[in-house]
Amino acid sequence: MAQALTRRNFLSFDFGDRRTADDHWIRVHRVAMACRFEVMLSSSDSGDIAAARAALDEADELESLLTVFRDTSAVVDVNRRAAAEAVTVDEPLFALLARSAEIHESTGGAFDVTSTPLSRCWGFLQRDGRVPVAAAIAAACASVGMHHVRLDGERRSVRFARPGIELNFGAIGKGFALDRMREILRRRGTRRALLSAGRSSVLGIGGRGRGWPVDLRPRLAGGRVGRLWIKEGAVGTSGAGEQFVEVDGQRYGHVIDPRSGRPAAGVLGASVIAGDAATADALSTAFLIGGSDLARRYCEAHAETLVVLVLDEPARPTQVFGEYSRATLELLT
Amino acid sequence: MNLTPEQMLNGRRNFLRTIAGVPAVAALGAVSLAKGPVKGGRVRVGFIGVGGQGRALLSRVDHSYVEVKAMTDIRPDSLAAADAVLQKAGQPPAKHYTEYKDMLEHEDLEAIITAPPLWMHATIVTDCLNAGKHVLCEKMMAWDRDGYHRMMDAAKKNDRILEIGYQRNYNPIYRSAFDGVMKTGALGDIYAIRLSWARNGNWRRNVDPPSKDYDPSKWGYPTWDHLNNWRLYWRYSQGLFAELGSHQVNAANWFLNSKPARVQAMGGVYRFKDGREVPDHVFATFEYPGGITGTFSSIESNAFDERYEAFFGTKGTLIIRNENDAMLFDEGEAAARPTAVEVAPKGAGAALETSETKPAQAGGSAAAKSQQTTEGAKTISPSTYEINAFASAIRCDTPLNCGPENASHSASWTIAANEALKSGNIVAIP
Repeated sequence: MAQALTRRNFLSFDFGDRRTADDHWIRVHRVAMACRFEVMLSSSDSGDIAAARAALDEADELESLLTVFRDTSAVVDVNRRAAAEAVTVDEPLFALLARSAEIHESTGGAFDVTSTPLSRCWGFLQRDGRVPVAAAIAAACASVGMHHVRLDGERRSVRFARPGIELNFGAIGKGFALDRMREILRRRGTRRALLSAGRSSVLGIGGRGRGWPVDLRPRLAGGRVGRLWIKEGAVGTSGAGEQFVEVDGQRYGHVIDPRSGRPAAGVLGASVIAGDAATADALSTAFLIGGSDLARRYCEAHAETLVVLVLDEPARPTQVFGEYSRATLELLT
Repeated sequence: MNLTPEQMLNGRRNFLRTIAGVPAVAALGAVSLAKGPVKGGRVRVGFIGVGGQGRALLSRVDHSYVEVKAMTDIRPDSLAAADAVLQKAGQPPAKHYTEYKDMLEHEDLEAIITAPPLWMHATIVTDCLNAGKHVLCEKMMAWDRDGYHRMMDAAKKNDRILEIGYQRNYNPIYRSAFDGVMKTGALGDIYAIRLSWARNGNWRRNVDPPSKDYDPSKWGYPTWDHLNNWRLYWRYSQGLFAELGSHQVNAANWFLNSKPARVQAMGGVYRFKDGREVPDHVFATFEYPGGITGTFSSIESNAFDERYEAFFGTKGTLIIRNENDAMLFDEGEAAARPTAVEVAPKGAGAALETSETKPAQAGGSAAAKSQQTTEGAKTISPSTYEINAFASAIRCDTPLNCGPENASHSASWTIAANEALKSGNIVAIP
């Protein structure tokens, strides 16, 4: 419209609808799930700020559903009752449980939303890491395992096969929230946005040109590993760079391998690029635990998954597995 | 606005937080289409009036858009100071003139940027337009209504561009607030706005004349003080309503897509009884059609209330403070879910950096600075965008953000407010 104006009719035209150009970022953000949820827009899309706020409302809603820190959340309710009875849950929570079970299956148990007793055993729940005795680890392991969680799709209910099971969606919830936010943004007509939760979960929608530029910088990698250009898709990153305990010179990260009951080792940072953010989040945790072997096997069996691992070896080599068509990875050599 | 630091932090988190070091910048509209010299080369410009505001504009010229060929001022000291501005920018000196008509006659100029005392706006701008020049004129538009009508008529008759220098129209904070808050209806229904510009100081300028025998009487200033402090005399000035208020009313008219219909006002020379004519304290209440009431106040005795435009709606409050700091406060339930919006230049770096989540983020710092990658981003003043947009309009017919029609509405408010102040009546605004 603006381009069609001539100088003459400009003189009598009311520019109530003045356009904003494209050389700024608008970051709409809010604290949810104990981190910063953000919808990033290009300044030419400033009309989408209202949609961004509606999407952030969804993050709030999901937090009240999923949090284990409020007695009123649906997850706390399930944890309290599901060992005694089948608990019917709302659609989002059931969808999340079903997806968590699938990823548990496809990662050979490396991803497990029931590993809370192990995190508690190692002191990471209290942010007071310690090395437990073997018997304590074994006891915690007995209360861990997605195979103890029975889902009934028809009744949309969940039941624990034994007492002591605890659900915690810390390794997938933020990505799940970004996926739901994407749906809201799309329904409201937003075509382009870069969503993020904390620094670990990112979801790009409608990236123009090469896509949204996102740098990969796992904390223990000692710098930027590379840059992703995301047209459409998510990246999830896990690492032990920020939460760990050191005992007798040995560093133990906060991510516990649910299969062994011991902290994951061998990978400093794992980033996964996938079509949805819940999958990317969950797989990044799985590959931090399962390392190169699991990443390779998974990518052979699943299309549209790209994995970047920074290994805990003197040269800190970066390994890449799989492929993803709607993003470009530029590794720093 | 009397807010606690916590309230302000909260408000910024709620909306449009501009951080220190992030300039008030946006390439706006058509300007962003033309990086560097516009098609057809730089626009050949002459300045008329290089006093304080003229030199401020001169210092913000992007010389890839504009070539400053000549400058006019009746004060030699202002011309010398303007030379220094050009020299600092690495530009060749511009030719000096004392009479703008000589400059129009002898220089091959396409456009004029002008910031003379208000009473001369209409005469100078009309002469320039009739000489075939495009004009960017500093606000406010004209001292009286006849003046701004003559300016608009001359622009139409000569098919020349006329833009008035209300730089809020080119400020990314205002533009984002308009697009993201006003246009989306985030404030609900608005019935009240408040405009404030509070200062604590004497408006008077104490500068010696350029020489002992300097005589400005032939230009209509009987004494040196009439020229040096023209803002303090009614003959040349419309006082605080013009110099400060019209900026804010211009932005309010834009945001409300309306113009006020009537105004009442009070004020006077209360503090500085030094012979000045224009009040040092002014207060106006004005009304838009449909039931929106605005207030504007400007005082020269206390700066606590600062400078802001506040829009009060049934769903929220938008406050833009000091032209660089916007805050949004939700009403009711939504107030418990503070949302922040930051605007920052893109730069050459990544949009985001990703890593494992840091537990320290759990505290919820609104400004995770490490998350922002603005490398390569440049500081650009809204006035620079304004001048670039003016140049692009000349070269490429691209639209401008304010325009004479909108500027005339804020001028009309100013003139009516002073009439109301002097008469004590409620005055209709044409």
